[in-house]
Amino acid sequence: MGLDRTIVIGGEAGQGIQTVGQLLAAACHGAGFEVLAVNDFESRIRGGHSSIGLRVADRPVSAPCRRIDLLVALDAPSEAVHRSDLSEDGLVLADRAAGLAEGRALSLPLEQMAREAGGKILANTVAAGACLGLLGAPEDHCRRIVRQQFEAKGDEVVDRNIAAFTAGYAATRNAAFNGRIQAGWDRSPRGRLMEGNLSVALGAVAADCRVGAFYPMSPATGIMAHLASLSGRYPLVVEQAEDEIAAANMVVGASFAGVRAMTATSGGGFSLMTEALGLAAITETPMVVVDAMRPGPATGLPTRTAQGDLNFVIHASQDEFPRFVFAPGSPEQAFETMVRAFDLSERFQVPAIVLVDQFFNDSLFTVTDFPPPPKVVRHIIGDADMADPAAYRRFAVTADGVSPRALPCRGKALVVAASDDHREDGHLSETMADRRKMVAKRFAKLPAMMARMRPPETLHPEADLLLATWGSSRGAVWEAVETLREAGRSVGAVHFCDLWPFPAEAAGELFATRPWVTVEQNYSGQLGRLVREQTGLKPAGRITRTDGRPFFAEEIVAGLKETKGLKGPK
Amino acid sequence: MVTVDDYRSDFENEWCPGCGNFGILEAMKAALVTLGLEPHQVLVVSGIGQAAKTPHFLRCNAFHGLHGRALPVATGAKLANHALTVLVNSGDGDCYGEGGNHFMHAVRRNLDVTLIVHDNRIYGLTKGQASPTSDLGMPTRIQPEGTVSEGFNPLAAALALGAGFVARGFSGDKAHLADLIVAGVRHKGFALIDVLQPCVSFNPIHTHGWYKQRVFDLAGEGHDPGDWSAAMARSRQWGDRIPLGILYEEQKPTFIDRIGALEKGPLIDQAAVEFAL
Repeated sequence: MGLDRTIVIGGEAGQGIQTVGQLLAAACHGAGFEVLAVNDFESRIRGGHSSIGLRVADRPVSAPCRRIDLLVALDAPSEAVHRSDLSEDGLVLADRAAGLAEGRALSLPLEQMAREAGGKILANTVAAGACLGLLGAPEDHCRRIVRQQFEAKGDEVVDRNIAAFTAGYAATRNAAFNGRIQAGWDRSPRGRLMEGNLSVALGAVAADCRVGAFYPMSPATGIMAHLASLSGRYPLVVEQAEDEIAAANMVVGASFAGVRAMTATSGGGFSLMTEALGLAAITETPMVVVDAMRPGPATGLPTRTAQGDLNFVIHASQDEFPRFVFAPGSPEQAFETMVRAFDLSERFQVPAIVLVDQFFNDSLFTVTDFPPPPKVVRHIIGDADMADPAAYRRFAVTADGVSPRALPCRGKALVVAASDDHREDGHLSETMADRRKMVAKRFAKLPAMMARMRPPETLHPEADLLLATWGSSRGAVWEAVETLREAGRSVGAVHFCDLWPFPAEAAGELFATRPWVTVEQNYSGQLGRLVREQTGLKPAGRITRTDGRPFFAEEIVAGLKETKGLKGPK
Repeated sequence: MVTVDDYRSDFENEWCPGCGNFGILEAMKAALVTLGLEPHQVLVVSGIGQAAKTPHFLRCNAFHGLHGRALPVATGAKLANHALTVLVNSGDGDCYGEGGNHFMHAVRRNLDVTLIVHDNRIYGLTKGQASPTSDLGMPTRIQPEGTVSEGFNPLAAALALGAGFVARGFSGDKAHLADLIVAGVRHKGFALIDVLQPCVSFNPIHTHGWYKQRVFDLAGEGHDPGDWSAAMARSRQWGDRIPLGILYEEQKPTFIDRIGALEKGPLIDQAAVEFAL
């Protein structure tokens, strides 16, 4: 077992725990460590309990760890909430760390030190300094990080924060802490730190998305905020719509008129968008929708994480039509998936849905620099590509179901589209022949769509037992597999990013010959049900979590032990 | 030279004989010809309802979308390509009922489209239920004792929201309506033209003759379209005398004018920027 530390900073919303988390993450990542920072907060702006969990390791980490080595309690309740997860030689750092055994608590007058450094508001930076002192981070390196963090706010803010940092750091640099990281602070960082939601926005921009329309909803808003911040550098407009219905219809309108467009929402907003999803389907207008999942139904847990929308997005909107559904497992995969989603949605003129979740969106990952995206190819025709533009029919029947797509007012060809079913020229029709023709035409796209679907990613696919997962649970599952294998168990893992059309053949090959257990953040094991529906193969069990918090690897390991009917350790 | 024949659609018309929609359709064709626009230079967006079928009976680019959602589609289309000339055909139920929220926000955006609302004060396609503009107490098949909500006043609402072009037409006066549509398209910004029209199948009260006896042209009475208070007063005039014409016009920056990124031209025509982290 290599280096693996978890630092949790807890406090009220508004106390600036984010700042502490960011400083620690930047300092550790900047010195060459692998970092993951997970945000856990309530649906409120002030008060309550929030925390940020920072995991620092010498190998890539993409799931949180339950065991806490250092707990920074900026308020009294934080200590109570997290104390049970403190490791045996863990330490609590607090203004008044009362009631803990000697050696497990370090009292530091954070507020008083902050006032001395320039104001009560600096208590979070004092705490960051104290953490970095305990962790053994080099002081000069940390000062550079503090400077970078506050540079944009001017010299005065930088100086006050440096003073606050220094006070905290000096107070703990010689304190006893078994979790101190003794070496390794002098390497160059790998990749960069990035929130999951930024990787989604960057993928959209790399795909030449030019219109983003949205209605604010946690945990999707961050994606659109990042997109808005990129709109100065790229030809891109982000519009806040009056509701999700408007947002989705704006995307359809922008796409119909000729630019790539997207929206991001959560399950509730997606519910409002489902009619527009069908509109995109029947008008064969490309559309990319990101559903950042949170627990439901209805408002559910607004700021928590879940994977409960898989069944929903596969079937959302009345009747049935081809669509793509993806659920990336990492920021790197999210970036690439967004690029693919835009391309495939346009190529096949069908909606593409990308599933992420609150844990993924709001966490800070150590991300490998993205490879340059492929050149964007637009699947659009103009008058010059037509023998007779006057004879253009938007929904002309073709062998593969995809009709050459022209744009309105870009030539003499007239483009007519309707949400009613229609003739090849786009005008309304209720004849049986036209209806059959259009249904068949839309579904004719499926074989070629299926051919674009990638098989699931595997880890030790030869193992005797497979854990099957999708979306952001990949990190915890991968880690659980490593833990189980170290303990001598023959376990592998399968991760589905491409979920619909479902890659049934690849799934069948993996699951036909050995037991498999799904790991997902919903009640019924939706992936397991999907695989069963598509392959006839039944999972041996399911490990689920429905309380709105991301998986720990250790609970997957424990969950497997409790799964009945599986062979014991080899 | 573009002529009315260029806009003639071969598609079989599905409206009831005598429907006010025919007058609106002919007025649109005449207006587009007056504007010198060819069919391929025009995009007509609509929602759902008898009014929303209009683009099928014209020869032009068309997007016939969902019930109530024409304006968001038009917003997206203008964001993508603001060089488009966009007309929106909607009905009183489509625009003021199902799409009421979008109506309100399209006005706030000052989206540069011409919204023609076929206002027959009844639901036609679903066979005769009350619409948002039905009078309080109007009996219908679903409301046999009469509606229990007050009628929505679209002109007053648009004025209150700050719309820059608010007009009322009548399907029985095609030439006047065509003039309004020309003025609406030329107006840079959101233009509402609420069109009074009979529903020959389901509204026995507001017939062609009923309107014919009551409507008059504001232009003949010295109305100043720059006077918002006078416009507001006119928007509330109803009964024996019903005003037609441009109630209010004010030029102000449009939705597109307010978006810095669109100064360089329509998004669709802007050069792609190579991705860099």
